[in-house]
Amino acid sequence: MTKRSPHDPISKINGETKYIHDMNLPGQLAGAILRSPHPHARIVRIDTTAAKQIQGVKAVITARDLPNYTFGPTKIKDWNILAENRVLFIGDEVAAVAAESKEAAEAALKAIQVDYEVLPAVFESEEALKPGAPVLHPETETNQPMLLNVERGDVNQAAKQAHIVRGGRFVINPIYQGHLEPIAALANWADDGITIWAGSHIPYRARETYAAAFGLPEDQVRIIIPPIGGSFGAKYVLKVHLIAAALSKAANRPIKIVLDRKEDMMTAHPRVPLIMDVQIGADKDGNFVFKDAVVYANAGARVYWSPNIVATACTRPDSVYHFQNIKAVGHLCYTNISPTTCMRGFGNAEMLFAVESIIDELAEGLSMDPAELRMKNIVREGETTIHGYKLATCKLDQCIERVKELSGWNRRESLPANKGLGIALANHVSGFRAIDPRFDGSTATARLKASGEIEVETGEIDLGQGMTQTYTEIFKKVLDLDGLVIVKSGDTGRYPFGIGTLASRSTVMGGNAVKLAAEQLKNKLLEFASTHYHGEASISNGRVQVGNQIFSAEELAIQYRSANAGDELAVRATYVPNTELPDQTSYGDPSPNYPFAAHVAEVEVDPDTGKTTVTGYWAVHDSGIIINRVRAKSQVVGAVAQGIGWVTMEELKVKEGKVMNPSILDYRMPGPLDIPPIEVDFIEEPDPNGPLGAKSVGEIALDPVPGAISNAIKHATGIRGYELPITAEKMWNLTNQ
Amino acid sequence: MDEQDTLTIRINDREYQVNGSPTRPLVDYIREELQLTGTKIGCGSGECGACTVILDGKPVNSCLIPVASAAGKEIQTIEGLRETEDYQALAEAMVETGGVQCGFCTPGIMATLYAWKQQPDLYEGSVKKALKNNLCRCTGYQSIVQAAEKVVNGEER
Repeated sequence: MTKRSPHDPISKINGETKYIHDMNLPGQLAGAILRSPHPHARIVRIDTTAAKQIQGVKAVITARDLPNYTFGPTKIKDWNILAENRVLFIGDEVAAVAAESKEAAEAALKAIQVDYEVLPAVFESEEALKPGAPVLHPETETNQPMLLNVERGDVNQAAKQAHIVRGGRFVINPIYQGHLEPIAALANWADDGITIWAGSHIPYRARETYAAAFGLPEDQVRIIIPPIGGSFGAKYVLKVHLIAAALSKAANRPIKIVLDRKEDMMTAHPRVPLIMDVQIGADKDGNFVFKDAVVYANAGARVYWSPNIVATACTRPDSVYHFQNIKAVGHLCYTNISPTTCMRGFGNAEMLFAVESIIDELAEGLSMDPAELRMKNIVREGETTIHGYKLATCKLDQCIERVKELSGWNRRESLPANKGLGIALANHVSGFRAIDPRFDGSTATARLKASGEIEVETGEIDLGQGMTQTYTEIFKKVLDLDGLVIVKSGDTGRYPFGIGTLASRSTVMGGNAVKLAAEQLKNKLLEFASTHYHGEASISNGRVQVGNQIFSAEELAIQYRSANAGDELAVRATYVPNTELPDQTSYGDPSPNYPFAAHVAEVEVDPDTGKTTVTGYWAVHDSGIIINRVRAKSQVVGAVAQGIGWVTMEELKVKEGKVMNPSILDYRMPGPLDIPPIEVDFIEEPDPNGPLGAKSVGEIALDPVPGAISNAIKHATGIRGYELPITAEKMWNLTNQ
Repeated sequence: MDEQDTLTIRINDREYQVNGSPTRPLVDYIREELQLTGTKIGCGSGECGACTVILDGKPVNSCLIPVASAAGKEIQTIEGLRETEDYQALAEAMVETGGVQCGFCTPGIMATLYAWKQQPDLYEGSVKKALKNNLCRCTGYQSIVQAAEKVVNGEER
């Protein structure tokens, strides 16, 4: 009997899939974390004596009990396991306890005495850069861990000659990823190393980071990833995992930490808040002549993944249109808020909100149809874009035509009052060369087991998008034997190295590796059958035929082992994409291929309350050949729903570093009644670099949503929202000011 | 009620004697004592619906129900529901329409869909209204609604 994969939809539907909070280890203790109540303070004294005396408490740790290495998940190494001398944000980890029960752990947290000397704090990016602002990390001297400059062409000259220029200051507020499974970790520190069970879709970077934190070799840190109950960018490399491991060492028992929803939200690492000053110019015929952008990104108190978001915001949308001359300055700023990080869309969706809004303003100024103005300026198949992206395939023109047709774009001029239609475009990548300069491909192994089943192993991570099924389908398209194909992933101690599931890379990077493994296994199997049974071998109907003999996968597996000292027929294949690491000027071809999309939103805005209702939505995608239409469509619809939340209702309200709405009740996310019918279509042409012709779909599906909805709101009301979310209150204020 | 008193509750057609605090949330009893971990905890405060179970035919947030108030009532968790025919039809439809991604909200959603299937009139026939207390961050609900409608329309044919 074959056990069903925990990633199988039926396992999830039936409640059989075990997430971390469903798992327990023998002898496990409950872990809990004491966090700073101040946005910036010096720790004068910590007294854990009383906490240690509480019955059931097995360990209480502070920075004094821990190693003090320099580490962090990016190039900027500014992490610690627990706060050393100062706390830098409300929620910063100060101490941790392990106890026999949650109640004892909570009591111990209350019994730890900490004296703080409160220090001046800074919360806004631009304020943090001013002279005299409190400096968070004295070793960097300023609050600016990164400054990015990108320029191609001559923006100043182009701006002088432009016929029309539009722009403004666009603001992205922090939003919460909204993963339904709260952040959790199980850790066991044993003599031969640490094992951490944790939701991380970039587990090898997590392993490297945690090994550095404890001064251990990487192979003494093993990360096992049970199915992840939603992430959207929240579950990368997290201090909760480290603290669980540190507690396990101190208590000499396994530790489980599950953040409750309030703690998860109070200390959340939300989407990086951005302030973007953006201008775009065009000539009198509507040809764009320049784009100029200055970005201020609020990293919060430490660097999680924010530099990469700044780099993306400053470059990626430039490969949707021919701006001809571009300039971007990206300031990454430390402030005393909880560290911010990635969320689906990753800087691209944010900058596209600005770009797509401005393009509609230009269309209005030029008295042109917004779709026509876009069509005039888009990148085309076969081109190399301004930053060096080589577009082997690009069906953006067809996406625009199709989305106009589906949405009934031509009715735009005759809509009733308070209704509007808005269009927006987007691109994305399918993996990104600069995530890890050392390697950006993927490895898969495939093994014909004695049972005739084939086990495929990958280092990429299924975070609910359906990677397991996608890889099974890719494998079976190449080699379809009568045995099951079982895809395994999520264990750094057992499976091949993988960069992880980010930058929309799993289908193309991991999928190409799986395809290569399938091809190699097929060749080896046929070669063996041919030599062993003396004749030409071929596969039909799931079986291998040599002459007039027909063999099942199981029969061949047994024969192979008999002839090979008991070894199973196994292959290991690595996909090395033909990508380029962007150079010092951010030029290069960083992805195997590039998906594109055109979306149209229809809204109705209530003139009395300012409330926006999205009444219709159409999304047309060029993601190459679609491997599974049901799952790809579910990705798009889900992303559009997230976008509707982002634009119309969601904001993590952070006041002086404190999250004011740390509950699902107060941080409202879309429910079924907030989502209109969403129609999805795909322009399917194979991409030469995608497995079976595929490109990515996960993130690009969110990228155009803010632009499409805000353009529809402008069309309905004549009012442009420059700050997300465009809530009813904001609309009412804009209307009545 | 004295803490020493025992309560009797019925879960998935079996009776259990509950000892300990009568105010303990039903979800903790289900997950920790009975090891029925198909019911998930997303928020612990009745806002996300991941812990939905059926109590006397109606979907409820089991994180908000003290075990004492479940005494004498009929409770069904995903482990019980999944044996029923109606559930299996819904599950099959969810796979076909792509109603599952990360799966964390799914058992709670299945409980609500099951209750809706039994008594659609409670929700004015609208599956979207039935689902208004179940948060799903992955799917945008469309495929879930389609799955429910598919089952109902399939029966009408």
